[in-house]
Amino acid sequence: MSGEPSHNPKVRAKLWDGPTRIVHWSLVVLIGFAWWCVKANQTEWHLWAGYGILGLIVFRLIWGFAGSASVRFASFVKGPITTLAYAKTLSRRSAGDMAGHNPLGGWSVVAILGAILSQVVTGLFAVDVDGLESGPLSDRVSFETGRLFSKWHDLSFTTIKLLVVLHLSAIAFYALYKRANLITPMITGYKSFEADPKLRFAPLWRAALVAGAAAAVTWGVMKGLRL
Amino acid sequence: MAFQKSLFALSLLAGFVIVGSAVQAHEHMAPMPTTPGGKAAYTRHENFKLQGAAFKAIRDELKSDSPNMALISTNAAKLKSSAEALPTWFPKGSGPESKYETDAKPEIWSDPVKFAAAVKRLQVETVKFQPIAAGGDLGAIKAQAQAVGGACKNCHDSFRVPEEK
Repeated sequence: MSGEPSHNPKVRAKLWDGPTRIVHWSLVVLIGFAWWCVKANQTEWHLWAGYGILGLIVFRLIWGFAGSASVRFASFVKGPITTLAYAKTLSRRSAGDMAGHNPLGGWSVVAILGAILSQVVTGLFAVDVDGLESGPLSDRVSFETGRLFSKWHDLSFTTIKLLVVLHLSAIAFYALYKRANLITPMITGYKSFEADPKLRFAPLWRAALVAGAAAAVTWGVMKGLRL
Repeated sequence: MAFQKSLFALSLLAGFVIVGSAVQAHEHMAPMPTTPGGKAAYTRHENFKLQGAAFKAIRDELKSDSPNMALISTNAAKLKSSAEALPTWFPKGSGPESKYETDAKPEIWSDPVKFAAAVKRLQVETVKFQPIAAGGDLGAIKAQAQAVGGACKNCHDSFRVPEEK
């Protein structure tokens, strides 16, 4: 109760910035596509999808330090005490008025980003069993180590699948049990609040700068870091 | 803030270590088999690792801006002799029934004609490859390396347990 009358009409305010939303949905599409490529034996396209994912993940990691307030790690990665305290309130029917990730959601973001990063990194060194296709950095490791990276690539993907199931379950739980719509804000960027959280957003030129850096890193890796 | 950042880094690291050590343990826990079939399967795996390493050495050179032609030629010769010996790597009893963890499918022994044809294809391609590799024409080497890899894949597709997808 911040003194605001509770019958106030809800305020629609921006929550997620454009770059973060683009990264989110591009990851969904590209990870799905990369998976399909493996099933369809389209290894060359799988590599291209991987480069795209690498660029997106590098962007998102930098954006977690330089981006808008709601997407910075510092704003949503909480310590164990805060996280536990939030976990104890999960059974409440209301989702609260938090402007951004709740502490559990924050850790879920960290886990998903970590899993995607490990997916990309293991792919860079992976060697396939026919020796026909291999990651751009696989010449830095032996055949056996490259095969090991392939296995890690596979294990890491199992982790991603588990995290995606958890992610979707959490969204369903918030929608059905807490009557909170988490999907629309990730599409439009806007959410209804009791009071305007007055979030600060990073300017577009900064996103362009970070995107340039992410593209440069990706290009270097594609070239096998032979610059 | 510093605490949170280090926690973030730590959790990433922990993820890597857990996954890494799990696979590492799995890779190296298989004890040296004692049965003839198990021993044959074990030796076969070692041989395929050497074959894979020889082919990878060539592929790595082909990726580089200034490929080492001598290295390509040496490894192409290795591939040729390895493919020549390959039919002896599959004695009866060295399949899944050997209890040694193997990706060799039972079809190797139940469809020997088709298997022999797949092996022959690798032998033909590696025999062709050796003089091309020694010749030093980069374009021709790349094309024939592709044909050798195709022969690997052709046999794996029918006779090797597919990797999880």
